[in-house]
Amino acid sequence: MLPLLPQLICAVAEKLMARLIAMDPQAHARLARLGTKQLSFKLKEWPSTLVLSATAHGILFNNSDQPVDCAISTDLASVRLLRDPSQLTRLIKADALQIDGDIQVAQQYSRFFAELDPDWQQSLSAYVGDAPAHKISRSLQQLQRYLHEKASLLQQHTVQLAQDELALTPTALEMSQFSHAVSQLAAKVEVVQQQLNNLQES
Amino acid sequence: MTDHKSNTTHFGYKTVAAEQKVSMVANVFHSVAAKYDLMNDVMSLGIHRLWKRFTIDCSGVRAGQQVLDLAGGTGDITALFSKRVGPTGKVVLADINASMLSVGRDKLRDLGLVNNIDYVQANAEALPFADNSFDIVSIGFGLRNVTDKAAALRSIFRVLKPGGRLLVLEFSKPEQAWLSKVYDLYSFKLLPVMGQLIANDKESYQYLAESIRMHPDQETLKSMMQQAGFAEVSYHNLTGGIVALHRGYKF
Repeated sequence: MLPLLPQLICAVAEKLMARLIAMDPQAHARLARLGTKQLSFKLKEWPSTLVLSATAHGILFNNSDQPVDCAISTDLASVRLLRDPSQLTRLIKADALQIDGDIQVAQQYSRFFAELDPDWQQSLSAYVGDAPAHKISRSLQQLQRYLHEKASLLQQHTVQLAQDELALTPTALEMSQFSHAVSQLAAKVEVVQQQLNNLQES
Repeated sequence: MTDHKSNTTHFGYKTVAAEQKVSMVANVFHSVAAKYDLMNDVMSLGIHRLWKRFTIDCSGVRAGQQVLDLAGGTGDITALFSKRVGPTGKVVLADINASMLSVGRDKLRDLGLVNNIDYVQANAEALPFADNSFDIVSIGFGLRNVTDKAAALRSIFRVLKPGGRLLVLEFSKPEQAWLSKVYDLYSFKLLPVMGQLIANDKESYQYLAESIRMHPDQETLKSMMQQAGFAEVSYHNLTGGIVALHRGYKF
């Protein structure tokens, strides 16, 4: 790994975070809820530990192995799954995720990042003026919606293609019929088993 | 290092009377103070900011701690420490040079860092602080310019709390021979020209290049720190050994 790369990443992340917090008028009040709590994050594939420290003015990024309020250790493959709370127990059981310390600190940080809502329009208006900033923002929102619609349409088409045209996968109805038949068969086997047992006993 | 018998010392490649060095170094920094930050960015291509961040990462600083940034100059390391110790901690920015201190104070105030920073004009060889006062002492690119380095290290040891640590960030000896050659070429040919163009001061940057060569290498500085009383002394080479961060503890 490139030497000093962790420091570069921390420096950029700290500047970026300060900018985002400055763009969100409500952020400082929510930041106060974090107090001076520290959260560390370690990836198995990465040699250094990232430490996030909350202050009254922002979030500081460091690389260190000092004790913190809550330490999360995981691997790259599991990071994507961290967003889904229902997966957490499974990951902890599979040893893919370790949490040491106060889990509430991790939840508070997670909530802070989720609620961070920078006012892009306001910041952009300083450069291009109010009306163009509004127009750009609207266009971007429309583009986002359009892409989202197209993505879900594409997914739907792929499913239809696999199920109906190419007959690679069963439809939901076929699947439930099959499950039902399996259940019935299982019940019949159970009955036969019991009858066999009875015959053996008598 | 000071030669006690003849009472002379190095000023770059020149040999001068020990008592003269302080004022000669002072003149260098009075001269470069205004353009110091700009020159640092140009000379190191901005990498000095990452060296300083690495120093903070190795310091293990926590909220509420007392930190002394010696030879703090224009306050880069102080700024990083100040945010990390928070309102319950304190950072003392000490420099022997009034011009550098004043540039540093203006810069930190402009950054909005005012609540937890004290400014002290002090000589590292005789620090004006009580014994066992600080959790962390850092000296970034300053030890090189101190006349009696052993006295400075002893003085730092005295003001550190038991369990406290010293971080010395300083130019050192490149690990590879080829890098050493490239670095020499850069320091003696390019650096004075850049100094002339940007800060209009060729001699000061000539002194900078020379003083780096006269500074003790990694192992020598490590043994000097051990002699001053520091325990578990270790160092990290940064950017191929052009800069080294030494760390030692007082137990």
